[in-house]
Amino acid sequence: MNRTRQFSGSGRVFDGHWNASMPRFVFSLMAAWTFLATVAAAGETPSQTSSAPLTFATDIAPILTKTGCNGGNCHAKAGSGQNGFRLSLFGFEADEDYEHIVHEARGRRVSPAAPELSLILLKATNTVPHGGGKRLEVGSASYQRIVDWISQGMLPGQPTDPHLVKLEVQPAQAAMKPHGTQQLKVLGHYSDGSQRDVTELSIFEANDKSMAEANASGLVTTFDLPGNLAVMVRYQGCVSVFNAYIPLGAPVDHLPPAKNFIDEQVFTNLKRIGIPPSPLCDDATYLRRVSIDIAGHLPTVEETEAFLADKSPDKRDQLVETLLGSPGYADYFANKWASLLKNRRDAVSDKAANFAFHFWLRDGLLENKPYDQMVRELLGATGDIASNPPVAWYKRVKEPERQLEDIAQLFLGVRMQCAQCHHHPFERWSQRDYYGFSAFFTQIGRTPTATADEDVIFHKRGIAQAIDKKTQKPVKPMALGGEELQISPDDDPRLYLADWMGDPENPYFAKALVNRYWKHFFKRGLIEPEDDIRETNPPSNPELLNALAKFFVESGYDLKALVRAMTQSQTYQLSSTPNQYNGIDQQNFSRFYPRHLQAEVLLDAVDQATGARSNFPDVPSGTLAISLPDNSYNKSSYFLKVFGRPDATSVCECERVQSSSLAQSLHLLNSDEIRQKLTVNTGRAKSLSEGKQDNPAKIRELYLATLSREPREQEMNIALEYLKEPQLDAAGKPLAQPQAARIAFEDLLWALIDTKEFIFNH
Amino acid sequence: MQLGLTGFASLTWPGIMRLKAASSPQPSQEKTAVIMVWLPGGLSHIDCYDPKPNIGSEYRGPFQTISTVVPDLQLTELLPRHARIADKYTVLRSMHHMSGGHPAGSMTMLSGDPDTRDKSKPKYPDWMSVAAYLRSKQGPRDCPLPNYVGVAPPTEYNGPAYIGNAFLPFAVTGDPNLPNFDVPNIGLSSEAEARRLGKRVALRKQLDLLERSFDKERELQALDEFESQAMTLLTNSKTRDAFDLSKEDPATRDRYGRNRWGQQLLLARRLVEAGVEILTSSLHGPLCGRVQNWDDHAVNHHVFDALRFRADAYDQAVTALIEDIYERGLDKRVLVCVTGEFGRTPKISYDRSTGAGNASAPTGTLQPGRDHWPRAFSNIWAGGGIRTGQVIGATDSRAEDVIERACGPGDFLATIYQHLGIDYSKIYISDLNGRPTPIVDNGRAIRELARGGTA
Repeated sequence: MNRTRQFSGSGRVFDGHWNASMPRFVFSLMAAWTFLATVAAAGETPSQTSSAPLTFATDIAPILTKTGCNGGNCHAKAGSGQNGFRLSLFGFEADEDYEHIVHEARGRRVSPAAPELSLILLKATNTVPHGGGKRLEVGSASYQRIVDWISQGMLPGQPTDPHLVKLEVQPAQAAMKPHGTQQLKVLGHYSDGSQRDVTELSIFEANDKSMAEANASGLVTTFDLPGNLAVMVRYQGCVSVFNAYIPLGAPVDHLPPAKNFIDEQVFTNLKRIGIPPSPLCDDATYLRRVSIDIAGHLPTVEETEAFLADKSPDKRDQLVETLLGSPGYADYFANKWASLLKNRRDAVSDKAANFAFHFWLRDGLLENKPYDQMVRELLGATGDIASNPPVAWYKRVKEPERQLEDIAQLFLGVRMQCAQCHHHPFERWSQRDYYGFSAFFTQIGRTPTATADEDVIFHKRGIAQAIDKKTQKPVKPMALGGEELQISPDDDPRLYLADWMGDPENPYFAKALVNRYWKHFFKRGLIEPEDDIRETNPPSNPELLNALAKFFVESGYDLKALVRAMTQSQTYQLSSTPNQYNGIDQQNFSRFYPRHLQAEVLLDAVDQATGARSNFPDVPSGTLAISLPDNSYNKSSYFLKVFGRPDATSVCECERVQSSSLAQSLHLLNSDEIRQKLTVNTGRAKSLSEGKQDNPAKIRELYLATLSREPREQEMNIALEYLKEPQLDAAGKPLAQPQAARIAFEDLLWALIDTKEFIFNH
Repeated sequence: MQLGLTGFASLTWPGIMRLKAASSPQPSQEKTAVIMVWLPGGLSHIDCYDPKPNIGSEYRGPFQTISTVVPDLQLTELLPRHARIADKYTVLRSMHHMSGGHPAGSMTMLSGDPDTRDKSKPKYPDWMSVAAYLRSKQGPRDCPLPNYVGVAPPTEYNGPAYIGNAFLPFAVTGDPNLPNFDVPNIGLSSEAEARRLGKRVALRKQLDLLERSFDKERELQALDEFESQAMTLLTNSKTRDAFDLSKEDPATRDRYGRNRWGQQLLLARRLVEAGVEILTSSLHGPLCGRVQNWDDHAVNHHVFDALRFRADAYDQAVTALIEDIYERGLDKRVLVCVTGEFGRTPKISYDRSTGAGNASAPTGTLQPGRDHWPRAFSNIWAGGGIRTGQVIGATDSRAEDVIERACGPGDFLATIYQHLGIDYSKIYISDLNGRPTPIVDNGRAIRELARGGTA
């Protein structure tokens, strides 16, 4: 027995520094050693439990994951771990961890002679001071297993040992009640055919924490929201999913007739979960809703009147066609894509490039260029910005790592970032996958042009490969989940990537787009977040998502066809008013989920309602906010900034923050800008106050212009009463008629644009 | 206590107090608060808080060293009032990081960004937005003032990043010393305006009939709460008073100094006293000299003239704030720290001025200056229940490197978070990619600056 090992040489029993607790440690060490010596003298160590030899990778590494030792905030911290002890994230590199634990620093972390005195156990149980607190209970099963492993000689395991091939969750799916529970059991299947119950050491996480929670021992508890839920299960580098659906169980008697495949899938789900949908919305609501969602603007007074008076049975479908053919559609969606493609003005010299890029996007949408072709043009762009605007994306995103991450997240819905430095925590992407994907972007040549920061992009001849930072070996271009491609030096690897993306068999490309557009129209993606598609984050309605993807691919990646299918469906036309059952639904689209108008849309809506105009630099007067080409306008327009227009720094649509704030309220209540829009001489308040029609007609116009509907009787009366009230001037004296009427209309206009009904798209 | 009130009438102060009596979250006047005084450009540590009288004149500068009421602490003659009240604050001389440019230095200090390269936009949220965000999650407040206010806030190289613009400060800009100083959106400028706004809001309430039963996610309720808060700011006399310096005793206004900086810091004290929890104030502008900040390269300013130019206003304002905090009994609740993004090069360099002006010789004249120096610099701390009159850490004989008790930006942030009751080592906020990002990465609260004070 090598008892002298613990006090070898320098007395560095701790992590290198001698501190005030040393005497205490030495004391407790002596105490523990005495105890153990007595026990050893008794002839039996209190440790024998299992007879099979324990190996590190199979038996010990998962314990370190479960206790959180190898989390990214502790010993798996990037760099040197924590306090000199480094583990790999979530134990993905078990061999390295074995080295660190058993051999590093002359093996001071383990004590084969007296396993319970091993530093690793003393620290983990907080028997000696441990920055991470107590992670393990003395005497618990995991504790005992580590003790056993140490006393067995700390076997690392052989490469030929049975290894984990798959995780099985039992049950794999279940119907659960609200406020119900389900205990999960996790079986590990090993390469030698054996199975083991690994529930205790698995990690469980619900993908929608507002619907359910899963505790550390695999007990799933639901809350009160009905719908579909997934719980991700992780163990030792493998993942699996438990799918639950929580029925509401209400009677679903009346369903609108299904118009297309979207309705079929949504209604099937509603029947299964038992959530009756709200009825269809009325014409005025539909008109406003679809104008905002497709073309980013409110309908005009004339359009509203015409639509409401129109008697044709297919007028809603016709409306969708009209909107899709309008420039508003191209502007609104170009705005969306421009910010995701980082069309950002960092310097004055960016202006020309940004405008060119925005025009390219807009023109493509206007002519309904197929989506796969647009992506291909972007990915494979060569030349200079003036002659080939999509090159501008390469100006913004320069390194292969950033390029692959953006492309993956934006067009494939896969967040690869995590895999740059370690195996992805929740998915199967390894660093090799990451660098293999980056290899597509390694043959991009750049020649500077006269404009600062702009390069001419060309294909650099050569074998495309990237260095895998982990193995330091080169890896050739690899599509996600694919094999290394042998690409000739004369071929641009980016085009191979574009080919793979546009391939109908590609499991991500179409799904990512249809999910993104689904979220645009229905507020919640079928996969949430919309750019985080992974096995452990399944869609809430897989049949619908697959049907949408199939439809999109078969249409030839036709974006307008997709928008048409969504907006013409009955599902999209459901009212936002809940019935007695479906108020609680947030996931199954049994009603329309209202959302805050986006910053640009709101600004344009305020302008349209008040008859005012916003002026923006560098563009002609009268340009709408949804037509602005880049993020620089967030600086010049406080309104756009405060209502959350994104700054084009991220490929995530979550950069646009849609929640309210104090600054927004203050701006609407009291800003000079709003005041100016209300009082402008060419505006609606003035023209109404001077108009010849009677008051009811004027009030009707106000409502058509702001809320796109007729006023209700009660509203008409309130407004008429208000018009009769005397208005006072600054000194408190009553005003004469034309001024009084103008003030009154300004007030009415302000009141209407500040209602929730105006600010929200419902 | 929900602040989502139904009628305009109940937004009066008595109304709020009644509601407050009914339920009691921790009142804002008892929550801990932080005032950060920011010196943009970087304060020259060797000329102010970390003098080295015994080194050569290539480093030392012309300022004499003076002793203070704290036996081990010496400052330069630029700060006589600081010397007299040295027992009321603690000097930290061993700040250190590696970010040399203004953007990187500010982002490193304010948000803990380890990237030493300059960027055009911050990648991580600054501590003020993080604290405002975390505090806002603690539930409704009883104080109508916003919880994060900037009186001339630093905004150039910092911001809320992925936390979102809802957590920008309520910004007060302009010179509070001017007689016509007015804060937009605090109080309305006339009776008539107040009346008009009241009429409009009342009318809007009658017309706002959108069905609210869909509001399970409380978006509408949040809108209501913000609007209530906005209305209170606009109409409530108490909030107006908090921003109104004319309500302050003239002797106090004199004590701080009748200039921009003095009145800024006085306003800061008033606001924190009235319940603001996070307050920043950047001392920049004409009082700095020609270049309007503390960036005393030789091409910008004659560094010593510039420091002389600013010293009086700075010395007076900062010491007034510190003394006031103690005198008014705010010292347990309110932590004050005064810092820049880095220090200045101890070895004096000479270069030609790029323009005449305050503290700068005419174009082309050779003048002394100091460049950026993040390797070692100083800042001072007061209030917060800390043990004052200490000197923490030390630099070498030339004030070039830290030789004792090095503290990094993570430690700086952790100290502030600890004071605010935020468990900094355990909180992660997901960025836009969904990656949980720690609010403090590599840092521990400086134990000498802990509440109750330990050595």
